[in-house]
Amino acid sequence: MTIVTRPLHPVFGAEMTGLDITKPLTKAEVATIEAGMDEYAVLAFPDQPLTDDQQMDFSANFGELEITLAGQMAKPEDRRFQTLELGDISNFAGNSNKLRERDDRRRMYALANRLWHSDASFRAVGAGYTLLHARIVPSVGGNTEFADMRAAYDALDDATKAELEDLVCEHSIVFSREQIGFADYNQGHDDKLRPVQHKLVITHPVSGRKSLYLSSHIGGIVGWPVPEARAFLRDLTEHATQRQFVYSHPWRVGDMVMWDNRTVMHRATRFRDLEEVRDLRRTSIKGTGLEVHVASAMAAE
Amino acid sequence: MTMSIRPYQTGFAGEVAGINLTQALTPAQVAAIDAGMDQYGVLVFHDQRFDDETQLAFSRNFGELEVSSGAEMSRPEQRRLKMEMADISNLDTNNNLRAASDRMRLTALGNRLWHSDASFRAIPAKYSLLSARVVPGSGGNTEFADMRAAYDALDAAAKAEIEDLITEHSNAYSREQIGFTRVDYGAENQDKLRPVRHRLVRYNPATGRKSLYLSAHIGTIVGWPVPEARAFIRDLMEHATQPRFVHVHVWRPWDLVIWDNRTTMHRARRYNDLTEVRDLRRSTIRGDGPTAEQAQHAA
Repeated sequence: MTIVTRPLHPVFGAEMTGLDITKPLTKAEVATIEAGMDEYAVLAFPDQPLTDDQQMDFSANFGELEITLAGQMAKPEDRRFQTLELGDISNFAGNSNKLRERDDRRRMYALANRLWHSDASFRAVGAGYTLLHARIVPSVGGNTEFADMRAAYDALDDATKAELEDLVCEHSIVFSREQIGFADYNQGHDDKLRPVQHKLVITHPVSGRKSLYLSSHIGGIVGWPVPEARAFLRDLTEHATQRQFVYSHPWRVGDMVMWDNRTVMHRATRFRDLEEVRDLRRTSIKGTGLEVHVASAMAAE
Repeated sequence: MTMSIRPYQTGFAGEVAGINLTQALTPAQVAAIDAGMDQYGVLVFHDQRFDDETQLAFSRNFGELEVSSGAEMSRPEQRRLKMEMADISNLDTNNNLRAASDRMRLTALGNRLWHSDASFRAIPAKYSLLSARVVPGSGGNTEFADMRAAYDALDAAAKAEIEDLITEHSNAYSREQIGFTRVDYGAENQDKLRPVRHRLVRYNPATGRKSLYLSAHIGTIVGWPVPEARAFIRDLMEHATQPRFVHVHVWRPWDLVIWDNRTTMHRARRYNDLTEVRDLRRSTIRGDGPTAEQAQHAA
Protein backbone atom coordinates (compact mmCIF):
# COMPACT_ATOMS: atom_id res chain seq x y z
CA MET A 1 0.00 0.00 0.00
CA THR A 2 1.15 3.50 -0.73
CA ILE A 3 0.51 6.27 1.77
CA VAL A 4 -1.55 9.03 0.16
CA THR A 5 -1.86 12.49 1.71
CA ARG A 6 -4.72 14.67 0.53
CA PRO A 7 -5.09 18.26 1.87
CA LEU A 8 -8.41 19.06 3.58
CA HIS A 9 -8.11 22.85 3.69
CA PRO A 10 -6.12 25.56 1.87
CA VAL A 11 -3.71 26.26 4.77
CA PHE A 12 -3.52 23.07 6.87
CA GLY A 13 -5.01 19.65 7.60
CA ALA A 14 -4.80 16.52 5.48
CA GLU A 15 -6.31 13.08 5.15
CA MET A 16 -3.89 10.16 5.17
CA THR A 17 -4.90 6.87 3.55
CA GLY A 18 -3.13 3.69 2.46
CA LEU A 19 -2.02 2.84 5.99
CA ASP A 20 -3.49 0.37 8.52
CA ILE A 21 -2.89 2.02 11.90
CA THR A 22 -4.52 -0.84 13.85
CA LYS A 23 -1.30 -2.80 13.22
CA PRO A 24 2.26 -2.05 14.41
CA LEU A 25 3.93 0.53 12.20
CA THR A 26 7.41 0.58 10.72
CA LYS A 27 9.81 3.38 11.68
CA ALA A 28 9.43 4.75 8.16
CA GLU A 29 5.64 4.89 8.50
CA VAL A 30 5.91 6.68 11.85
CA ALA A 31 8.36 9.15 10.30
CA THR A 32 5.94 9.79 7.41
CA ILE A 33 3.14 10.56 9.86
CA GLU A 34 5.37 12.86 11.92
CA ALA A 35 6.48 14.71 8.80
CA GLY A 36 2.81 15.03 7.81
CA MET A 37 2.02 16.46 11.24
CA ASP A 38 4.83 19.00 10.99
CA GLU A 39 3.48 20.16 7.66
CA TYR A 40 -0.31 19.88 8.09
CA ALA A 41 -0.75 20.03 11.92
CA VAL A 42 -3.96 17.96 11.62
CA LEU A 43 -4.13 14.49 10.06
CA ALA A 44 -7.29 12.43 9.59
CA PHE A 45 -7.15 8.64 9.09
CA PRO A 46 -10.57 7.39 7.95
CA ASP A 47 -11.90 3.84 8.43
CA GLN A 48 -9.57 2.72 11.22
CA PRO A 49 -11.52 0.35 13.52
CA LEU A 50 -9.16 0.69 16.50
CA THR A 51 -9.68 -0.96 19.87
CA ASP A 52 -8.62 0.96 23.00
CA ASP A 53 -5.38 -1.01 23.19
CA GLN A 54 -4.64 -0.46 19.53
CA GLN A 55 -5.27 3.27 19.93
CA MET A 56 -2.80 3.40 22.82
CA ASP A 57 -0.23 1.35 20.91
CA PHE A 58 -0.54 3.59 17.87
CA SER A 59 -0.27 6.70 20.06
CA ALA A 60 2.84 5.42 21.82
CA ASN A 61 4.72 5.69 18.51
CA PHE A 62 4.80 9.45 19.06
CA GLY A 63 5.98 9.77 22.65
CA GLU A 64 4.94 9.41 26.26
CA LEU A 65 1.17 9.19 26.85
CA GLU A 66 -0.44 11.79 29.11
CA ILE A 67 -2.88 11.02 31.91
CA THR A 68 -6.18 12.90 31.42
CA LEU A 69 -7.09 15.58 33.94
CA ALA A 70 -10.79 14.62 34.02
CA GLY A 71 -9.75 11.03 34.75
CA GLN A 72 -7.41 12.19 37.51
CA MET A 73 -10.13 14.28 39.12
CA ALA A 74 -12.91 11.66 38.82
CA LYS A 75 -13.66 9.01 41.43
CA PRO A 76 -12.58 5.53 40.20
CA GLU A 77 -16.18 4.22 40.19
CA ASP A 78 -17.23 7.09 37.88
CA ARG A 79 -14.64 6.28 35.21
CA ARG A 80 -15.64 4.39 32.09
CA PHE A 81 -12.06 3.35 31.45
CA GLN A 82 -9.65 1.99 34.01
CA THR A 83 -6.66 3.21 32.02
CA LEU A 84 -6.03 6.83 32.97
CA GLU A 85 -4.30 7.47 29.65
CA LEU A 86 -7.56 6.95 27.77
CA GLY A 87 -9.72 10.08 27.77
CA ASP A 88 -13.51 9.65 27.72
CA ILE A 89 -14.91 12.17 25.22
CA SER A 90 -18.48 10.90 25.38
CA ASN A 91 -21.82 11.95 26.81
CA PHE A 92 -22.33 8.75 28.80
CA ALA A 93 -23.08 9.13 32.52
CA GLY A 94 -19.89 7.60 33.88
CA ASN A 95 -19.57 3.85 33.73
CA SER A 96 -23.07 3.20 32.35
CA ASN A 97 -24.96 3.17 29.06
CA LYS A 98 -27.19 6.04 30.14
CA LEU A 99 -26.73 9.51 28.71
CA ARG A 100 -25.80 12.33 31.06
CA GLU A 101 -28.70 14.34 32.46
CA ARG A 102 -29.00 17.97 31.50
CA ASP A 103 -27.47 19.27 34.75
CA ASP A 104 -24.87 16.50 35.20
CA ARG A 105 -21.70 18.23 36.40
CA ARG A 106 -19.56 16.13 34.05
CA ARG A 107 -21.67 17.53 31.22
CA MET A 108 -21.13 21.08 32.53
CA TYR A 109 -17.38 20.50 32.72
CA ALA A 110 -17.29 19.10 29.17
CA LEU A 111 -19.26 22.04 27.73
CA ALA A 112 -16.12 24.14 28.02
CA ASN A 113 -14.70 22.03 25.18
CA ARG A 114 -16.89 24.21 22.98
CA LEU A 115 -14.42 27.06 23.63
CA TRP A 116 -11.30 27.22 21.44
CA HIS A 117 -8.43 25.63 23.33
CA SER A 118 -5.16 23.76 23.18
CA ASP A 119 -5.23 20.51 25.14
CA ALA A 120 -3.55 20.52 28.55
CA SER A 121 -2.16 24.03 28.11
CA PHE A 122 -2.89 24.31 31.86
CA ARG A 123 0.07 21.99 32.50
CA ALA A 124 3.67 23.11 32.83
CA VAL A 125 4.28 20.86 29.81
CA GLY A 126 1.24 21.14 27.56
CA ALA A 127 0.15 18.35 25.23
CA GLY A 128 1.96 17.69 21.96
CA TYR A 129 -0.28 15.53 19.80
CA THR A 130 -3.84 14.62 20.68
CA LEU A 131 -5.37 11.57 18.99
CA LEU A 132 -9.14 11.30 18.89
CA HIS A 133 -10.95 8.21 17.62
CA ALA A 134 -14.67 8.06 16.78
CA ARG A 135 -16.61 5.02 17.99
CA ILE A 136 -20.18 6.39 17.86
CA VAL A 137 -21.14 9.67 16.23
CA PRO A 138 -24.40 11.65 16.34
CA SER A 139 -26.48 12.07 13.18
CA VAL A 140 -26.14 15.87 13.20
CA GLY A 141 -23.55 18.26 14.68
CA GLY A 142 -20.69 17.47 17.05
CA ASN A 143 -17.95 18.41 14.58
CA THR A 144 -14.50 19.20 15.86
CA GLU A 145 -13.10 22.43 14.48
CA PHE A 146 -9.41 23.22 14.16
CA ALA A 147 -7.69 26.58 13.74
CA ASP A 148 -4.15 26.93 12.41
CA MET A 149 -2.13 29.06 14.84
CA ARG A 150 0.83 29.29 12.44
CA ALA A 151 -1.26 30.84 9.68
CA ALA A 152 -2.92 33.09 12.28
CA TYR A 153 0.50 34.23 13.50
CA ASP A 154 1.78 34.82 9.97
CA ALA A 155 -1.23 37.01 9.18
CA LEU A 156 -0.48 39.48 12.01
CA ASP A 157 1.15 42.78 11.10
CA ASP A 158 4.72 43.48 12.22
CA ALA A 159 3.71 45.83 15.04
CA THR A 160 1.44 43.19 16.56
CA LYS A 161 4.08 40.47 16.17
CA ALA A 162 6.57 42.69 18.01
CA GLU A 163 4.06 43.41 20.76
CA LEU A 164 3.34 39.71 21.30
CA GLU A 165 6.85 38.34 21.00
CA ASP A 166 7.76 38.27 24.69
CA LEU A 167 4.35 38.04 26.34
CA VAL A 168 3.79 35.26 28.88
CA CYS A 169 0.28 33.98 29.64
CA GLU A 170 -1.20 32.25 32.68
CA HIS A 171 -3.20 29.08 32.02
CA SER A 172 -5.47 27.08 34.32
CA ILE A 173 -8.41 24.74 33.79
CA VAL A 174 -10.27 27.09 36.16
CA PHE A 175 -10.17 29.96 33.64
CA SER A 176 -11.86 28.05 30.80
CA ARG A 177 -14.57 26.66 33.08
CA GLU A 178 -15.11 30.08 34.68
CA GLN A 179 -15.98 31.50 31.24
CA ILE A 180 -19.07 29.34 31.06
CA GLY A 181 -19.94 29.74 34.73
CA PHE A 182 -18.72 26.39 36.03
CA ALA A 183 -16.76 26.26 39.29
CA ASP A 184 -17.90 23.00 40.84
CA TYR A 185 -14.70 20.98 41.12
CA ASN A 186 -14.28 18.07 43.46
CA GLN A 187 -12.36 19.01 46.59
CA GLY A 188 -8.66 18.43 46.93
CA HIS A 189 -7.41 19.31 43.46
CA ASP A 190 -5.88 22.70 44.22
CA ASP A 191 -2.52 21.59 42.87
CA LYS A 192 -4.11 20.85 39.48
CA LEU A 193 -5.89 24.20 39.31
CA ARG A 194 -2.86 26.40 40.00
CA PRO A 195 -2.00 28.56 36.94
CA VAL A 196 1.09 27.78 34.86
CA GLN A 197 2.92 30.16 32.53
CA HIS A 198 3.60 29.78 28.82
CA LYS A 199 4.91 32.09 26.15
CA LEU A 200 2.23 33.41 23.80
CA VAL A 201 4.42 33.05 20.72
CA ILE A 202 6.08 29.68 20.41
CA THR A 203 8.39 28.20 17.81
CA HIS A 204 7.81 24.66 16.61
CA PRO A 205 10.89 22.55 17.41
CA VAL A 206 10.96 20.83 14.00
CA SER A 207 9.42 23.15 11.43
CA GLY A 208 10.82 26.30 13.06
CA ARG A 209 7.53 28.08 12.36
CA LYS A 210 6.15 30.48 14.91
CA SER A 211 2.60 30.12 16.16
CA LEU A 212 0.19 31.63 18.67
CA TYR A 213 -0.15 29.54 21.81
CA LEU A 214 -3.71 30.59 22.57
CA SER A 215 -6.23 28.65 24.65
CA SER A 216 -9.43 29.28 26.59
CA HIS A 217 -7.40 28.11 29.61
CA ILE A 218 -5.61 31.49 29.60
CA GLY A 219 -6.74 33.88 32.32
CA GLY A 220 -4.16 36.64 32.16
CA ILE A 221 -0.92 38.03 30.76
CA VAL A 222 1.96 38.46 33.19
CA GLY A 223 2.31 42.16 34.07
CA TRP A 224 -1.04 43.26 32.56
CA PRO A 225 -4.22 44.20 34.43
CA VAL A 226 -6.56 41.20 34.08
CA PRO A 227 -9.41 42.97 32.20
CA GLU A 228 -6.96 44.43 29.70
CA ALA A 229 -5.34 41.05 29.14
CA ARG A 230 -8.68 39.33 28.64
CA ALA A 231 -10.02 41.94 26.22
CA PHE A 232 -6.77 41.69 24.26
CA LEU A 233 -6.79 37.88 24.19
CA ARG A 234 -10.40 37.88 22.98
CA ASP A 235 -9.41 40.08 20.07
CA LEU A 236 -6.45 37.86 19.30
CA THR A 237 -8.55 34.68 19.51
CA GLU A 238 -11.11 36.24 17.20
CA HIS A 239 -8.36 37.03 14.71
CA ALA A 240 -6.89 33.53 15.03
CA THR A 241 -10.17 31.70 14.50
CA GLN A 242 -11.41 33.48 11.40
CA ARG A 243 -12.90 31.06 8.93
CA GLN A 244 -9.89 31.16 6.60
CA PHE A 245 -7.81 29.55 9.37
CA VAL A 246 -10.46 26.95 10.37
CA TYR A 247 -11.10 23.38 9.24
CA SER A 248 -14.30 21.76 10.53
CA HIS A 249 -14.13 17.96 10.79
CA PRO A 250 -17.42 16.07 10.40
CA TRP A 251 -16.92 12.76 12.23
CA ARG A 252 -17.52 9.34 10.75
CA VAL A 253 -17.26 6.15 12.78
CA GLY A 254 -13.69 4.83 12.58
CA ASP A 255 -12.09 8.22 12.00
CA MET A 256 -8.84 8.77 13.84
CA VAL A 257 -7.85 12.44 13.86
CA MET A 258 -4.61 13.64 15.36
CA TRP A 259 -3.48 17.21 15.82
CA ASP A 260 -0.53 19.10 17.21
CA ASN A 261 -1.58 21.26 20.18
CA ARG A 262 1.53 23.37 19.70
CA THR A 263 0.26 24.62 16.33
CA VAL A 264 -3.55 24.37 16.37
CA MET A 265 -6.45 25.18 18.64
CA HIS A 266 -9.64 23.14 18.46
CA ARG A 267 -13.17 23.06 19.82
CA ALA A 268 -16.21 20.81 19.80
CA THR A 269 -19.46 22.03 18.27
CA ARG A 270 -22.95 21.45 19.59
CA PHE A 271 -25.03 18.31 19.02
CA ARG A 272 -28.22 16.93 20.57
CA ASP A 273 -26.34 15.40 23.47
CA LEU A 274 -29.41 14.67 25.60
CA GLU A 275 -30.80 12.38 22.88
CA GLU A 276 -27.89 11.08 20.82
CA VAL A 277 -24.63 9.31 21.68
CA ARG A 278 -21.24 10.68 20.74
CA ASP A 279 -18.46 8.39 21.91
CA LEU A 280 -14.93 9.52 21.08
CA ARG A 281 -11.76 8.35 22.81
CA ARG A 282 -8.74 10.47 23.31
CA THR A 283 -5.08 9.82 23.86
CA SER A 284 -2.49 12.55 24.06
CA ILE A 285 1.25 12.83 23.94
CA LYS A 286 3.32 15.04 26.23
CA GLY A 287 4.65 18.06 24.38
CA THR A 288 8.38 18.37 23.94
CA GLY A 289 10.91 20.81 22.62
CA LEU A 290 9.18 24.14 23.25
CA GLU A 291 10.66 27.32 24.66
CA VAL A 292 7.58 27.23 26.87
CA HIS A 293 9.66 25.44 29.46
CA VAL A 294 12.11 28.31 29.54
CA ALA A 295 9.35 30.81 30.33
CA SER A 296 7.94 28.59 33.06
CA ALA A 297 11.34 27.97 34.57
CA MET A 298 12.19 31.67 34.55
CA ALA A 299 8.91 32.55 36.19
CA ALA A 300 9.54 30.02 38.93
CA GLU A 301 12.89 31.53 39.86
CA MET B 1 -31.07 71.52 2.17
CA THR B 2 -32.84 68.19 2.17
CA MET B 3 -31.67 65.30 4.28
CA SER B 4 -30.49 62.29 2.31
CA ILE B 5 -29.23 58.85 3.38
CA ARG B 6 -26.69 56.80 1.47
CA PRO B 7 -26.29 53.18 2.57
CA TYR B 8 -22.80 51.87 3.34
CA GLN B 9 -21.61 48.73 1.61
CA THR B 10 -22.75 46.53 4.50
CA GLY B 11 -26.30 47.59 3.68
CA PHE B 12 -27.63 48.31 7.13
CA ALA B 13 -25.82 51.49 8.21
CA GLY B 14 -26.48 54.78 6.46
CA GLU B 15 -24.51 58.00 6.00
CA VAL B 16 -26.69 61.09 6.32
CA ALA B 17 -26.09 64.42 4.58
CA GLY B 18 -27.96 67.70 4.35
CA ILE B 19 -28.96 68.35 7.95
CA ASN B 20 -27.54 70.40 10.84
CA LEU B 21 -28.45 68.64 14.07
CA THR B 22 -27.13 71.35 16.40
CA GLN B 23 -30.08 73.60 15.55
CA ALA B 24 -33.74 73.08 16.44
CA LEU B 25 -35.36 70.52 14.15
CA THR B 26 -38.84 70.48 12.64
CA PRO B 27 -41.16 67.55 13.44
CA ALA B 28 -40.73 66.42 9.81
CA GLN B 29 -36.95 66.28 10.21
CA VAL B 30 -37.27 64.26 13.43
CA ALA B 31 -39.69 61.90 11.70
CA ALA B 32 -37.26 61.47 8.79
CA ILE B 33 -34.46 60.51 11.21
CA ASP B 34 -36.77 58.07 13.03
CA ALA B 35 -37.75 56.48 9.72
CA GLY B 36 -34.07 56.26 8.76
CA MET B 37 -33.33 54.54 12.07
CA ASP B 38 -36.06 51.97 11.48
CA GLN B 39 -34.69 51.24 8.05
CA TYR B 40 -30.94 51.27 8.76
CA GLY B 41 -30.40 50.67 12.50
CA VAL B 42 -27.29 52.92 12.43
CA LEU B 43 -27.03 56.47 11.05
CA VAL B 44 -23.82 58.46 10.70
CA PHE B 45 -23.83 62.29 10.58
CA HIS B 46 -20.58 64.17 9.93
CA ASP B 47 -19.52 67.66 11.03
CA GLN B 48 -22.06 68.11 13.83
CA ARG B 49 -20.38 70.53 16.23
CA PHE B 50 -22.23 69.66 19.39
CA ASP B 51 -21.50 70.77 22.91
CA ASP B 52 -23.14 68.81 25.74
CA GLU B 53 -26.18 71.11 25.89
CA THR B 54 -26.95 70.98 22.17
CA GLN B 55 -26.39 67.22 22.08
CA LEU B 56 -28.86 66.68 24.95
CA ALA B 57 -31.39 69.07 23.34
CA PHE B 58 -31.15 67.19 20.01
CA SER B 59 -31.42 63.83 21.78
CA ARG B 60 -34.67 64.79 23.55
CA ASN B 61 -36.40 64.78 20.13
CA PHE B 62 -36.45 61.00 20.31
CA GLY B 63 -37.75 60.40 23.82
CA GLU B 64 -36.83 60.46 27.46
CA LEU B 65 -33.12 60.58 28.30
CA GLU B 66 -31.61 57.77 30.31
CA VAL B 67 -29.18 58.43 33.16
CA SER B 68 -25.74 57.00 32.43
CA SER B 69 -25.12 53.80 34.37
CA GLY B 70 -21.44 54.73 34.70
CA ALA B 71 -22.43 58.06 36.28
CA GLU B 72 -24.98 56.36 38.51
CA MET B 73 -22.34 54.04 39.87
CA SER B 74 -19.74 56.78 40.48
CA ARG B 75 -19.46 59.29 43.27
CA PRO B 76 -20.12 62.95 42.25
CA GLU B 77 -16.43 63.85 42.49
CA GLN B 78 -15.60 61.04 40.03
CA ARG B 79 -17.87 62.45 37.30
CA ARG B 80 -16.56 64.60 34.49
CA LEU B 81 -19.96 65.14 32.79
CA LYS B 82 -23.65 65.54 33.59
CA MET B 83 -25.65 62.49 34.71
CA GLU B 84 -27.40 62.16 31.33
CA MET B 85 -24.11 62.13 29.47
CA ALA B 86 -22.20 58.86 29.43
CA ASP B 87 -18.48 59.60 29.51
CA ILE B 88 -16.97 57.48 26.73
CA SER B 89 -13.46 58.80 27.19
CA ASN B 90 -10.15 57.80 28.73
CA LEU B 91 -9.96 60.98 30.82
CA ASP B 92 -10.28 61.53 34.54
CA THR B 93 -12.06 64.51 36.13
CA ASN B 94 -8.96 66.68 35.62
CA ASN B 95 -8.92 65.76 31.92
CA ASN B 96 -5.77 63.70 32.38
CA LEU B 97 -5.35 60.28 30.76
CA ARG B 98 -6.37 57.46 33.07
CA ALA B 99 -3.59 55.24 34.42
CA ALA B 100 -3.30 51.59 33.35
CA SER B 101 -4.75 50.28 36.61
CA ASP B 102 -7.53 52.91 36.92
CA ARG B 103 -10.77 51.16 37.93
CA MET B 104 -12.80 53.27 35.49
CA ARG B 105 -10.49 52.22 32.67
CA LEU B 106 -10.80 48.55 33.55
CA THR B 107 -14.58 48.57 33.69
CA ALA B 108 -14.73 50.54 30.41
CA LEU B 109 -12.80 47.68 28.77
CA GLY B 110 -16.08 45.76 28.94
CA ASN B 111 -17.19 47.93 26.00
CA ARG B 112 -14.83 45.91 23.82
CA LEU B 113 -17.34 43.03 24.08
CA TRP B 114 -20.36 43.02 21.73
CA HIS B 115 -23.30 44.46 23.60
CA SER B 116 -26.53 46.39 23.46
CA ASP B 117 -26.53 49.48 25.69
CA ALA B 118 -28.32 49.21 29.03
CA SER B 119 -29.69 45.75 28.26
CA PHE B 120 -29.17 45.24 32.01
CA ARG B 121 -32.14 47.55 32.69
CA ALA B 122 -35.71 46.29 32.89
CA ILE B 123 -36.57 48.98 30.34
CA PRO B 124 -33.49 48.96 28.14
CA ALA B 125 -32.18 51.67 25.84
CA LYS B 126 -33.71 52.57 22.49
CA TYR B 127 -31.25 54.86 20.69
CA SER B 128 -27.70 55.72 21.69
CA LEU B 129 -26.25 58.95 20.29
CA LEU B 130 -22.47 59.16 20.34
CA SER B 131 -20.67 62.39 19.53
CA ALA B 132 -16.93 62.42 18.80
CA ARG B 133 -15.09 65.38 20.31
CA VAL B 134 -11.48 64.08 20.22
CA VAL B 135 -10.39 60.94 18.38
CA PRO B 136 -7.08 59.01 18.52
CA GLY B 137 -4.67 58.87 15.58
CA SER B 138 -5.41 55.21 14.97
CA GLY B 139 -7.72 52.51 16.34
CA GLY B 140 -10.74 53.08 18.56
CA ASN B 141 -13.30 52.26 15.87
CA THR B 142 -16.83 51.36 16.84
CA GLU B 143 -18.27 48.28 15.15
CA PHE B 144 -21.96 47.59 14.67
CA ALA B 145 -23.70 44.27 13.98
CA ASP B 146 -27.18 44.00 12.48
CA MET B 147 -29.31 41.73 14.68
CA ARG B 148 -32.17 41.68 12.14
CA ALA B 149 -30.00 40.26 9.37
CA ALA B 150 -28.42 37.86 11.89
CA TYR B 151 -31.89 36.65 12.89
CA ASP B 152 -33.03 36.30 9.28
CA ALA B 153 -29.97 34.18 8.46
CA LEU B 154 -30.82 31.51 11.08
CA ASP B 155 -32.42 28.31 9.81
CA ALA B 156 -36.04 27.53 10.69
CA ALA B 157 -35.08 25.03 13.42
CA ALA B 158 -32.85 27.56 15.17
CA LYS B 159 -35.54 30.24 14.93
CA ALA B 160 -38.09 27.88 16.49
CA GLU B 161 -35.67 26.89 19.27
CA ILE B 162 -34.98 30.47 20.36
CA GLU B 163 -38.40 32.05 19.76
CA ASP B 164 -39.55 32.02 23.38
CA LEU B 165 -36.25 32.01 25.24
CA ILE B 166 -35.81 34.52 28.06
CA THR B 167 -32.32 35.68 29.00
CA GLU B 168 -30.96 37.28 32.17
CA HIS B 169 -28.84 40.42 31.84
CA SER B 170 -26.62 42.20 34.34
CA ASN B 171 -23.72 44.60 33.99
CA ALA B 172 -21.82 42.21 36.27
CA TYR B 173 -21.99 39.43 33.65
CA SER B 174 -20.19 41.41 30.95
CA ARG B 175 -17.49 42.62 33.35
CA GLU B 176 -17.07 39.18 34.85
CA GLN B 177 -16.05 37.95 31.38
CA ILE B 178 -12.96 40.13 31.49
CA GLY B 179 -12.24 39.45 35.14
CA PHE B 180 -13.71 42.62 36.65
CA THR B 181 -15.61 41.20 39.60
CA ARG B 182 -18.81 42.11 41.42
CA VAL B 183 -16.79 43.19 44.45
CA ASP B 184 -14.94 45.73 42.27
CA TYR B 185 -18.19 47.69 41.81
CA GLY B 186 -18.26 48.61 45.51
CA ALA B 187 -20.87 47.84 48.17
CA GLU B 188 -23.02 50.82 47.17
CA ASN B 189 -23.64 49.44 43.65
CA GLN B 190 -24.56 45.83 44.36
CA ASP B 191 -28.31 46.51 43.97
CA LYS B 192 -27.69 47.78 40.42
CA LEU B 193 -26.28 44.42 39.42
CA ARG B 194 -29.46 42.43 40.00
CA PRO B 195 -30.25 40.57 36.74
CA VAL B 196 -33.23 41.57 34.59
CA ARG B 197 -35.03 39.41 32.05
CA HIS B 198 -35.51 40.01 28.33
CA ARG B 199 -36.72 38.11 25.32
CA LEU B 200 -33.96 36.75 23.09
CA VAL B 201 -36.05 37.43 19.98
CA ARG B 202 -37.55 40.91 19.69
CA TYR B 203 -40.13 42.18 17.25
CA ASN B 204 -40.24 45.74 15.98
CA PRO B 205 -43.84 46.69 15.22
CA ALA B 206 -42.73 49.68 13.10
CA THR B 207 -40.90 47.48 10.60
CA GLY B 208 -42.45 44.06 11.19
CA ARG B 209 -38.93 42.64 11.55
CA LYS B 210 -37.60 40.32 14.23
CA SER B 211 -34.12 40.63 15.68
CA LEU B 212 -31.79 38.86 18.10
CA TYR B 213 -31.53 40.67 21.40
CA LEU B 214 -27.99 39.64 22.27
CA SER B 215 -25.56 41.39 24.60
CA ALA B 216 -22.41 40.69 26.61
CA HIS B 217 -24.59 41.50 29.63
CA ILE B 218 -26.37 38.14 29.24
CA GLY B 219 -25.41 35.64 31.95
CA THR B 220 -27.90 32.84 31.39
CA ILE B 221 -31.14 31.62 29.82
CA VAL B 222 -34.09 31.02 32.14
CA GLY B 223 -34.53 27.28 32.73
CA TRP B 224 -31.14 26.31 31.31
CA PRO B 225 -28.04 25.21 33.22
CA VAL B 226 -25.66 28.21 33.21
CA PRO B 227 -22.75 26.57 31.32
CA GLU B 228 -25.09 25.31 28.60
CA ALA B 229 -26.68 28.74 28.27
CA ARG B 230 -23.31 30.48 28.04
CA ALA B 231 -21.90 28.06 25.46
CA PHE B 232 -25.08 28.50 23.40
CA ILE B 233 -25.05 32.31 23.65
CA ARG B 234 -21.40 32.33 22.58
CA ASP B 235 -22.25 30.32 19.48
CA LEU B 236 -25.15 32.64 18.71
CA MET B 237 -22.91 35.69 19.21
CA GLU B 238 -20.37 34.25 16.82
CA HIS B 239 -23.08 33.72 14.22
CA ALA B 240 -24.51 37.21 14.73
CA THR B 241 -21.19 39.06 14.45
CA GLN B 242 -19.86 37.49 11.28
CA PRO B 243 -18.20 40.10 9.06
CA ARG B 244 -21.18 40.10 6.67
CA PHE B 245 -23.41 41.54 9.42
CA VAL B 246 -20.86 44.10 10.66
CA HIS B 247 -20.31 47.75 9.82
CA VAL B 248 -17.08 49.39 10.98
CA HIS B 249 -17.21 53.07 11.86
CA VAL B 250 -13.91 54.98 11.71
CA TRP B 251 -14.35 58.12 13.82
CA ARG B 252 -13.68 61.67 12.67
CA PRO B 253 -14.02 64.60 15.08
CA TRP B 254 -17.63 65.89 15.16
CA ASP B 255 -19.18 62.67 13.90
CA LEU B 256 -22.50 61.87 15.51
CA VAL B 257 -23.59 58.25 15.24
CA ILE B 258 -27.03 57.09 16.31
CA TRP B 259 -27.81 53.40 16.70
CA ASP B 260 -30.86 51.46 17.71
CA ASN B 261 -30.04 49.15 20.61
CA ARG B 262 -33.16 47.11 19.90
CA THR B 263 -31.85 45.98 16.52
CA THR B 264 -28.05 46.25 16.68
CA MET B 265 -25.10 45.34 18.88
CA HIS B 266 -21.87 47.31 18.95
CA ARG B 267 -18.41 47.24 20.47
CA ALA B 268 -15.38 49.52 20.81
CA ARG B 269 -12.01 48.53 19.41
CA ARG B 270 -8.58 48.92 20.97
CA TYR B 271 -6.43 52.04 20.64
CA ASN B 272 -3.40 53.47 22.44
CA ASP B 273 -5.47 54.67 25.37
CA LEU B 274 -2.52 55.24 27.69
CA THR B 275 -0.99 57.80 25.33
CA GLU B 276 -3.80 59.20 23.14
CA VAL B 277 -7.07 60.93 23.99
CA ARG B 278 -10.42 59.57 22.79
CA ASP B 279 -13.28 61.73 24.05
CA LEU B 280 -16.73 60.61 22.93
CA ARG B 281 -19.97 61.55 24.67
CA ARG B 282 -23.10 59.47 24.65
CA SER B 283 -26.68 60.38 25.29
CA THR B 284 -29.18 57.55 25.48
CA ILE B 285 -32.92 57.33 24.86
CA ARG B 286 -34.95 55.13 27.13
CA GLY B 287 -36.93 52.31 25.48
CA ASP B 288 -40.72 52.03 25.41
CA GLY B 289 -41.12 49.23 27.94
CA PRO B 290 -39.93 45.86 29.15
CA THR B 291 -39.29 43.19 26.51
CA ALA B 292 -40.06 40.04 28.46
CA GLU B 293 -43.82 40.64 28.31
CA GLN B 294 -43.73 41.95 24.75
CA ALA B 295 -46.30 40.21 22.59
CA GLN B 296 -44.73 38.22 19.81
CA HIS B 297 -46.33 38.58 16.43
CA ALA B 298 -46.42 35.84 13.88
CA ALA B 299 -43.96 36.63 11.11
